[in-house]
Amino acid sequence: MEPFTLIRPRTLDAAQTRALGAPADRVYKAGGIDLLDLLKEGLSRPSELIDLRSLGDEHGQAMRALAAGDGGWSVGALNTLAAISKSALPPAYAALKEAAGSAATPSIRNSATLGGNLLQRPRCWYFRHRDLHCLKKGGERCLADGGENKFHAILGGGPCHIVHPSTLAVALVALGAEVEIIGAEGPRRIPVGELFALPRVSPTTENTLGEGEVIRGVTLPAAAAGQRSVYEVAKEKQSFDWPLAEVAVAISVEGGALRAARVALGHVAPTPWRAVQVEEALTGQAPSAALFARVAALATQGARSLGDNAYKIPLVQGLVRAALHRACDIPVPA
Amino acid sequence: MAGETTIYTLRLGFDDKLKAVKVEVPKGEPRPWDADSKLAVIGRDTPRIDSVPKVTGAAQYTHDVRLPGMLHAAVLRSPHPAAEIEHLDVSPALKQPGVRAAIDLVKVGDKVRFAGADVAAVAAKTRDEARAALASIVVRYRPLPFVVDLDEAIQPGSPKVHEKAVKDRRTEGDEPSEGGGARVDGNVRRNPSLSKGSSNKGLRQAKVRHEATYTTQVHTHSALETHSIVVRWDSPKAMTAWCSTQGIFSVRDELAGVFELKPADVKVFTEYMGGGFGAKFGASAPGSRLGWIAGELARKSKAPVSLLLDRHEEHVCTGNRPGSTQRVTLGATASGELTAIHVVGHGSAGIGTGAGIGNNAFGIYTRCPNILVESRDVFCNTGPGTAFRAPGHPQGAFAIELAMDELALKLGKDPLELRIGHVEHPVRRAQLELGRERFRWAERRREADAKRSRGARYLTGVGVACSIWGDYGRKNAARVTVSVDRDGVVELRNGVQDIGGGITTILAMVAAEVFARPVTSIRVQVGNSELGPSVGSGGSQTTSSVAPAARNAAEAVKAELTELAAKLLGRSSTEGLEWGSDGVVEVSGRKRRIAFAELCKKIEGEAIVATASRPQTYNAGPMRHPSAPVYQIAGAHFVEAEVDTWTGVVRVPEVLAIHDVGRVHNPLTTRSQVNGGIALGISYALMEQRIVDRGSGRMLNPNLESYKIIGAAELPKLDIVFTELHTGANSTGAVGIGEPSTIPTAAAIACAVHHALGRPVRALPMTPDRVLAAIQGA
Repeated sequence: MEPFTLIRPRTLDAAQTRALGAPADRVYKAGGIDLLDLLKEGLSRPSELIDLRSLGDEHGQAMRALAAGDGGWSVGALNTLAAISKSALPPAYAALKEAAGSAATPSIRNSATLGGNLLQRPRCWYFRHRDLHCLKKGGERCLADGGENKFHAILGGGPCHIVHPSTLAVALVALGAEVEIIGAEGPRRIPVGELFALPRVSPTTENTLGEGEVIRGVTLPAAAAGQRSVYEVAKEKQSFDWPLAEVAVAISVEGGALRAARVALGHVAPTPWRAVQVEEALTGQAPSAALFARVAALATQGARSLGDNAYKIPLVQGLVRAALHRACDIPVPA
Repeated sequence: MAGETTIYTLRLGFDDKLKAVKVEVPKGEPRPWDADSKLAVIGRDTPRIDSVPKVTGAAQYTHDVRLPGMLHAAVLRSPHPAAEIEHLDVSPALKQPGVRAAIDLVKVGDKVRFAGADVAAVAAKTRDEARAALASIVVRYRPLPFVVDLDEAIQPGSPKVHEKAVKDRRTEGDEPSEGGGARVDGNVRRNPSLSKGSSNKGLRQAKVRHEATYTTQVHTHSALETHSIVVRWDSPKAMTAWCSTQGIFSVRDELAGVFELKPADVKVFTEYMGGGFGAKFGASAPGSRLGWIAGELARKSKAPVSLLLDRHEEHVCTGNRPGSTQRVTLGATASGELTAIHVVGHGSAGIGTGAGIGNNAFGIYTRCPNILVESRDVFCNTGPGTAFRAPGHPQGAFAIELAMDELALKLGKDPLELRIGHVEHPVRRAQLELGRERFRWAERRREADAKRSRGARYLTGVGVACSIWGDYGRKNAARVTVSVDRDGVVELRNGVQDIGGGITTILAMVAAEVFARPVTSIRVQVGNSELGPSVGSGGSQTTSSVAPAARNAAEAVKAELTELAAKLLGRSSTEGLEWGSDGVVEVSGRKRRIAFAELCKKIEGEAIVATASRPQTYNAGPMRHPSAPVYQIAGAHFVEAEVDTWTGVVRVPEVLAIHDVGRVHNPLTTRSQVNGGIALGISYALMEQRIVDRGSGRMLNPNLESYKIIGAAELPKLDIVFTELHTGANSTGAVGIGEPSTIPTAAAIACAVHHALGRPVRALPMTPDRVLAAIQGA
């Protein structure tokens, strides 16, 4: 790990001015969890870390807030995973709380932030290996394609085949959240799904943030009447592991029929992945175990195995089923 | 006098099957503890006497050693799995900040054979400076064809890993055996077979056959404290080393050998160590010459040098449990009597040897008349394998035990009854019968079968597997010194290292028992080569080699103290005197007593001191079962597994572990060893796996994130039962537990998963991808 200078600005303006100035290798720091890994692995060698946790202005306050407003809720980017999982968010947004409470370990959740979780770099073992130079690092080709790809993408991959590591993003996509971004030219808002870009757009980055831009927070829209949301995940190891696949579902039942279903998949694609076919097949139907078994198969339409990751197809289907059962209170076969 | 013996009639055996056995012991040995011994300390839960320094951080590990002027070393390692060195120049490193010495570890023309092999090393004022300086070393490699996959390495025409014959590297971590054979064909080397009867004939007689291939992964040791050594030259002909080792004397001997010193001029300290599972013998690691590197850098820089491996290095060059591919063929009569067991095992210890599969298939279901177990080492361009907690056994157990369950299903027999019908060892048989009741085997099997037929999402299964190990306690290897001084201080001294099993506390307990003193009053000094010879902690032999020696020394001191008491009481002999809770008392008459402190004050000179060892196992093992050359330690694990059929995730909610450990000296630390054995077994069964990239030959998960090790959330409810056995093998009755406790866990889990699904998962680890494939019938 190389030495660096830690800058603790009081205002976002000062932070952004610093970030946009020379030298160009300065980076923002929030919880510092992924950043520490990147520093140790030599994947990032910044001269300065600009800490966002020291902001004392209105932006800093907004980034630490978690509150209701305008019918929905806003969650500032500096909220830790632990804070989100224990927050007063109503049950309609339970998927976000469950996702935040399932990631990593208690000690990491106490430091890791919402913003950092959305912007962390992928865990691909070729990308993270100190001796290997892959497409994502500016190399010639994706080493997972034809290599060891058990944890890689079955959807949306190519030319790089990472899966996006953000667990919170999956829940936020299912909840229809928007991301509030502050840039040099002022604020902008985009649906959370648009924060992420597929590798065919840019194999070396995972998001669409411009230079110096900062995520201030996310807004969760007003919940539909009777909305339920859940998060389901499968891991090889139950204490501290990355998901093999994960699913978040937000859904409501109106007059015995399913409405407003949003189904998002994680760790199956280079971005959080909407399962639109599943959503369409659910809408208007009466919830039942048979329906869930049938629509779950639609979640992986177009999925392609790289060799070692075909199991993710039945796995993510199983998680969709499990999530729908729980969201609709229909017991699983026991 | 040599050759003189005493004969004691001891009550030996287990449970209600005790019998009187005449045991001949060398003259001077105390009466061995047996079923009739009334012991006050041994056998009772006793907290570790060194627990406070461990939990407060006061304990000094090799990683903590800081010496005046000490430098830090870093090693340049080959990024290539196979390459010839065309050019190497370490001199630019000498110009880097803080660097004091740089050495090459290979010469131009040498070949490196795995990614991670030693190339060069530097010593600098800080670790960061040492690491940074490695980049300035100029190396030109000529990459060569390589093979990292066991199945590919077997194929004719695959790149040859070694041009010449390879010598076995055996350590105290290996189970005593004849060692490897000589026949090499390509990358495949034949090892001696285990054979009885004719497996071919047995298979011809069989009415029911089961034949399948089972594979196991490469498993890295991943001790919490990485390999580490600090070397200081005290003079041109003497050095002191601090080392995280399982064998202090193996460190001393290696350093003496490579630097041409007298062993007596090399001091080694291992005051505390952060775990060892077989990879920490000698001053070096199996795949890196750490002792030479630290010593040579220290010699060149004229300063002490600390060499601590990082986690990446620890994974790639310090050894591993070899992977295996085992073809198992079983034959049985229609009524379920085994007629043949035939196993052909191919294992890869990378560039090293010793990838055998243990004697599980040969030594447990011994009623089978025809058994042939063949084993071959397959060389690959990966880091060398080495002894790992019960070398060969967990992989061997997995294949034979799961095959037994698959055969039982074909026969329509209960797999536990099939096992009970084929074991001959009385303790093992009793353990299986005990577990059948205690684990509610039949009831749980029925519940699980019902869930499977209902099509439940979560299926459960129960499985059982056996362990087999030997009593490898060694004669005359450990020399323990016991002293009692005029101040009443009882102290034990021995050069043994405590790898975590708790030998320090057991030594205190033995002395506390003999002198009837409180455990906390006993001083124990270990972890220092100057405290007297001792054994390496491998082969589950530490307690059985050291505790009897401690007792023998303590008894010698006690005898002298008793004579002193007799003299003070004006008695002509020690007869009629016995030791009570505080000193010596007369059994009859006036029942005069001398308190321990008073007695000690009368010691002539400073202290009474005795040093003793233990002899060969008495009678070559009075309780030895005829089927084995040494006393055989039996164990069985019963496991319940739960499978989420929608995700393929396997959990282990409950384990019952039943073990023979001879006399349980400290139940608290013995259970702790079994806890660890089970945790390791679950980890091996469900998650740990070295992933090597076939394209680049690099390990892709050299960390503790994607190399996954069991955490708190995976620990099951544990029920541990000791079938205590009075062995009459040595003066305290100790035999080992470290290794047997991990042998059957993964195998039992595999059997439970097979029961849950009705289909086998024939590869470890049983990760969701494999479980889902089994569910889908792929």
